[in-house]
Amino acid sequence: MTIKSSVEIITEWDIVEARQLGRDEAKALGFDTVDQARITTAISELARNIYLYARIGVIEIERVETDADTEKKIIVIATDQGPGIEDVRKVMEDGYSTSGGLGAGLPGVNRLMDNMVIQSVMGKGTTIRAEKWLR
Amino acid sequence: MEQLESQYQKILSDYMTDQTEKNLYIAQNFTRQLIQKNISPEDVVSVHKNAVEKLFPRRMSEEQLAYDFLIEVMVHYGMAHREHQSLLQKQAEYEMEMKIATNIQKTLLKTDVPQLSSIDIGMISIPIRKMNGDYVHFLYNREDFLSVAVTDVVGKGVPAALCMSMVKYGLETLDYAYKDPSYVLEVINRVIEKSVDDSMFVSMFYACLDMRKSILSYASAGHEPALHYSAKHNEFFPLESTGLLLGVLPETKYLYNEIVLEENDIVVMMTDGVTEFRAHDEMNSREVISSLIMENKYLSAQQLCNLLYKQIEEIQDFKLSDDFTVVIIKK
Amino acid sequence: MDMAIHFKELDNKLYGFVEGEIDTYTASRLREELEAVNITEGLEIVLNLSKINYMDSTGLGVFVAFYKRTLRENGKVKLVGLSNRLQRLFEITGLSDLMDIETDKKVESRK
Repeated sequence: MTIKSSVEIITEWDIVEARQLGRDEAKALGFDTVDQARITTAISELARNIYLYARIGVIEIERVETDADTEKKIIVIATDQGPGIEDVRKVMEDGYSTSGGLGAGLPGVNRLMDNMVIQSVMGKGTTIRAEKWLR
Repeated sequence: MEQLESQYQKILSDYMTDQTEKNLYIAQNFTRQLIQKNISPEDVVSVHKNAVEKLFPRRMSEEQLAYDFLIEVMVHYGMAHREHQSLLQKQAEYEMEMKIATNIQKTLLKTDVPQLSSIDIGMISIPIRKMNGDYVHFLYNREDFLSVAVTDVVGKGVPAALCMSMVKYGLETLDYAYKDPSYVLEVINRVIEKSVDDSMFVSMFYACLDMRKSILSYASAGHEPALHYSAKHNEFFPLESTGLLLGVLPETKYLYNEIVLEENDIVVMMTDGVTEFRAHDEMNSREVISSLIMENKYLSAQQLCNLLYKQIEEIQDFKLSDDFTVVIIKK
Repeated sequence: MDMAIHFKELDNKLYGFVEGEIDTYTASRLREELEAVNITEGLEIVLNLSKINYMDSTGLGVFVAFYKRTLRENGKVKLVGLSNRLQRLFEITGLSDLMDIETDKKVESRK
């Protein structure tokens, strides 16, 4: 069973909205307080990236629950039609975030979640998909 | 994690009943363990929260929210902390690579001072950073000819060292022409001009001594003039010879001059790290060098080099600002 | 240790005033500032170095790189206000035969 919900990121307050949605979903799935905080912080970073560098975008949250307990996970997908990330490998390097440009904080998001995939086309936009399993 | 939690609970409980330094010391050792296991700050707060919850269940109802709040805050701190950790690791890797590169450069650009019976040669070359931007190249053919190239790359560190390797191999392939300073400079200039970026240059003083005739021919490419001490006149003369730095223009011509070296004459070749007294604008460095050599002219060439370094380092308050290289030949 | 450069345009000439100390640490900033200069065909650039109180060979490299670019892009560059010390540096390196250079004294006498 997969439950999808999403928040459009247009103003700074939508970041808060996305955080709220992420926290509710994480809680509903059974993540503990620390993991809830991690997931929410990751969503916050992704949403902020959209707000600052792509202006508009969407945060989608998927709650995946199968019968077996081990397969529960949360998926966060951030999509925008912004300028795109020129060198995906580079934004994943630590120290890049200090430059403050697009993609800042992505290595941090990667550490907070269990995995992360970035797809980006220059001039077209970026999609970032991050997952965290319930242990 | 569960094991850590119960350990922490025990340590905290001990401290709550008995606030001794010993208990705090145990806590410190426990922290070491946490760091070693790479436990994030938010997890530490969570461990603490759970311990408090078990030890003082009644108090927790009020403080629960405050702890949750702290966990939120620490997640972001943890993110920054981990990035920092990973950068430190990266830095260690770079330093390792740098060390290897430095060793390669040292082996590659090692200069052996020739030991000849008819002439006394001394040399000192001290880099300001890990890698030396100065380089000295000797070439000799038995007791007939000795040629010396004293070079300085504009710029320091790794780029300078890379450029220097090129100069070295250029000089090595020119061993057939070592008697002709103009030709050597013209060829090296073309090599550098072609292969290096616009702001990278090399200065070189090239001298060749015909030991049978005792004639020294020399040319300079933007390099600090050498000094010639004439024993007969008991006086210093600069070996002036202006030529453009190597690597600026492709077709540059270099003129060479000749002098006769007589018994007890001394020639001092150096880089600008020797003559540049940054903190002492008012001093004429070349006069300082001349008088130091004049006063100690009976020392061996190597002793003179060491003495110059020691004295100039002292004048500069032990804060040299450039690579320091001196070559002295004494007849 | 600090270095500053500011520009002024006057009668189709670009005047640059450099001041401070140019060494390994400040040279890269000077290079960036000079690289940002847009050289149009026939533009005359006058760099005043009279307020430089220290310059090592790295700084020299920056000026030569700028000179080479100006030449390539059909502009002209002139260095003025050189102290005796700087003058000597340009002489030793053979650059004074190549570049258009005026010493401090010549500038003074023209006032």
